[in-house]
Amino acid sequence: MLKSVIEWTWVLAIFGVAALIGNWFGMDVLPWEAIPGMLVLIAVSLVGLMLEKALPFSMPAVGYIGILAIIISLPWFPGSDYVVAWTSQIGILALATPILAYAGISVGSNWADFRKLGFRSFLVAIAVFLGTFIGSALIAEVILRWQGII
Amino acid sequence: MEKVELKTVIKDWRLHAIAFILVAITEAIGQFSIAVGPGVILLLPMLYAFFLGLGLYFTPLISEKNAKNAEPLIILGVTLLIAKIGVTIGPQIEAIIAAGPALLLQELGNLGTIFLALPLAVLLGFRRESIGMTHSIAREPNVGLIVNKFGFSSPEGRGVMAVYIFGTVFGAVFLGLISGLLATATPLHPLSFAMASGVGSGSMMAAASGSLIGAYPELEEQIVAFAGASNLLSLSTGLYFSIFIGLPLTEKLYSIMMRRSERKAAKGGGPNA
Repeated sequence: MLKSVIEWTWVLAIFGVAALIGNWFGMDVLPWEAIPGMLVLIAVSLVGLMLEKALPFSMPAVGYIGILAIIISLPWFPGSDYVVAWTSQIGILALATPILAYAGISVGSNWADFRKLGFRSFLVAIAVFLGTFIGSALIAEVILRWQGII
Repeated sequence: MEKVELKTVIKDWRLHAIAFILVAITEAIGQFSIAVGPGVILLLPMLYAFFLGLGLYFTPLISEKNAKNAEPLIILGVTLLIAKIGVTIGPQIEAIIAAGPALLLQELGNLGTIFLALPLAVLLGFRRESIGMTHSIAREPNVGLIVNKFGFSSPEGRGVMAVYIFGTVFGAVFLGLISGLLATATPLHPLSFAMASGVGSGSMMAAASGSLIGAYPELEEQIVAFAGASNLLSLSTGLYFSIFIGLPLTEKLYSIMMRRSERKAAKGGGPNA
């Protein structure tokens, strides 16, 4: 467990550096201003990863991480003002860019599999994604309007 | 997929240096928007980063080993993204609870894939593959479900893998492009698309909601909160939704469609089906 935790911390730290670089170049936030927020996010992720290993439930780590992050940022949680202020220095897109950079590099090795699928599968997959996206948006629109939220 | 040792991943400095440079260059370029009819296609740094990274795989700079080592960075990077989304949801908790009914019911919108994509798949000549392809958007839990029920080398298994691979390669890029375009070109509210962005994959949600934020920066907090809450809901309920509603409905519709086309063939209309 300890070995995993140390390795996770390293990987998260490397990823964190990539995100801080993106945050700096893209959103003009100096890296040392964003470090406290990044440390909070890394700590939350680590606790979530540990819970996944330690607890007997079959919930993936992201489930714990999401819930934990929500709890520590609720207005009535002690110190949540700091959590929210620090993490607000990190843009969500600054985290998304390194994910997709690594994803692009990684996908290269699946490229051969992908080319075998053929054009018809490609069309169906597009319809699958469009169908889900538009279907959900239409229902959300109807209910949100009906509730008077939008 | 074999597991790579995290230790070798950490020490792969060539990979990390390239990723840092990619991020710096693409973020420095910044975003562009292209007007398409009434809507806008947003080109975000993450899209350039994806395609530059993919392109580098075909150069000597990135080897097969580097590409394999990139995988844990994606998985752990997504945990940071989820943490960031969580701390954006917390302060907005009252707005989320108020929007609860819409959040819960829009999960049913995932059935849209069945009604849109299943007829198309059958029309294109797919048979039982189409069940695997269109019962859901084929994320890991859905692949697990299909493989578990029909087997990996069954037609259903091949179908679900096809959409899974498409989603892995292009899902985030595709949703990123269409969400900005649809939100600006259709009369639907950006917050409805924010909820739709939560399809159950961190990177797809980030791309889809990222484009929405690019187009509507004044709504950033609400977009992230709604998309994130919807994504958590999809992650936690998506599998059960597929088991009890999505998959049975797809199979039922498929058998209805097959019976109809057989009847048509029996009448002597079409070619042998």
